[in-house]
Amino acid sequence: MRVAVTGKGGSGKTTTSAIVARVFGRHGLAVVALDCDTNPNLGISLGVGSVETERLLAMRETLDDESDDGGGDHAPGWDDLLDRFGSDAPDGVRLAVVSRIENPEPGCL
Amino acid sequence: MALTPGHAGHVRPDHAPSRPASYHGPMATDHGNRHVRIAFVGKGGVGKSAIAGTFARVLARGGHDVLAIDSDPLPGLAFSLGLERSDAPIPDEAVQERAEGEDGPRFRLRDGLSAAEAVERYSVLAPDGVRFLQFGKMTTGPGTNPGALFRSQNAFRQIVHGLPEDRWSIVGDLPGGTRQPFYGWAGFATTVLIVAEPTAKSLLSARRLARMASFEKAPEQILVVANKVRRPGDVETMARRTGLAVVGAVPWDEEFADVERLGLAPIDEAPDNAAVRAVESLADALVGSLVSAVAEVPDPVS
Repeated sequence: MRVAVTGKGGSGKTTTSAIVARVFGRHGLAVVALDCDTNPNLGISLGVGSVETERLLAMRETLDDESDDGGGDHAPGWDDLLDRFGSDAPDGVRLAVVSRIENPEPGCL
Repeated sequence: MALTPGHAGHVRPDHAPSRPASYHGPMATDHGNRHVRIAFVGKGGVGKSAIAGTFARVLARGGHDVLAIDSDPLPGLAFSLGLERSDAPIPDEAVQERAEGEDGPRFRLRDGLSAAEAVERYSVLAPDGVRFLQFGKMTTGPGTNPGALFRSQNAFRQIVHGLPEDRWSIVGDLPGGTRQPFYGWAGFATTVLIVAEPTAKSLLSARRLARMASFEKAPEQILVVANKVRRPGDVETMARRTGLAVVGAVPWDEEFADVERLGLAPIDEAPDNAAVRAVESLADALVGSLVSAVAEVPDPVS
């Protein structure tokens, strides 16, 4: 099952997502929680704390850097990515951040 | 629908668009020609629109020509201003595609249309004479043109960034999060106000937004507005955890929240409310002086 949570800012997407992920985890499902927000806070609601939430590198940014260096011979699989970039949250949930904005480009729309 | 110059058809009927002579609040003093350009940023749901809308009305009552701008594709500022519509699309006729070899974004204001003229034509008149500018909103379904919003957004940015500095005070309400602020949408602002509430997620977002200080085109000042303050010490904690000065403190207020819930303007429906008063103080502090206003913000609940 793959669930996407959307809505207006402040409506409770992150909190809802985190609780749903934890509940699924408690039911024994192998859960991956993907924070696709450019301002990612999901880690806080999952219970890993703000330090760990900030520590998590964004997968997309790092992958972009690697391809810039010419270092990526083949695209890594999801399991590799989650091992490298993910973090363990309670109830067996694996958290990863997809698209934090690390290097803004002023003037870009 | 096409907007005609000076279009005022959506002002709530019980509000005259001119400044009320009877107003004697803190902003009744004339602020002269001191223009301000302020962008409200912060995590989604912290209260940017409610504060920005009230702030814009307060400035207008103080004698400013205020342009209130909403750059959220899911707009909400208009309700806090006292309008009954949420968007104000910039029509296709205002935009033309970049010519071959020309620099800049793909679409721009058409030849001969200045930013100042575009404001006169496409902004919507709100109570107290505030002008509201927005770029349309996300629409889907048969008959919608998916490129129209993009064209309108390009034009909106050029209007906001191209306005001469001699007339308008600008109050901008950005979408929640870091995307627009980090991609230059607050570039019009000399002052960026990060609205935060005393929650971990909001303060983490505020710390990220504080990085705007290191941008090439950084604003002159980046300050925090503490919103939904409930407990003694909240303001101090927020200053410490963001590393920024707190320029205003707005208490949590049930009446203010109820008015927002109904999509109405707090300054009209709850004019004596403590949160509205706090926004008036914020406006006084920001217009009166710059960073020196930061020194003492009374904790509203201590």
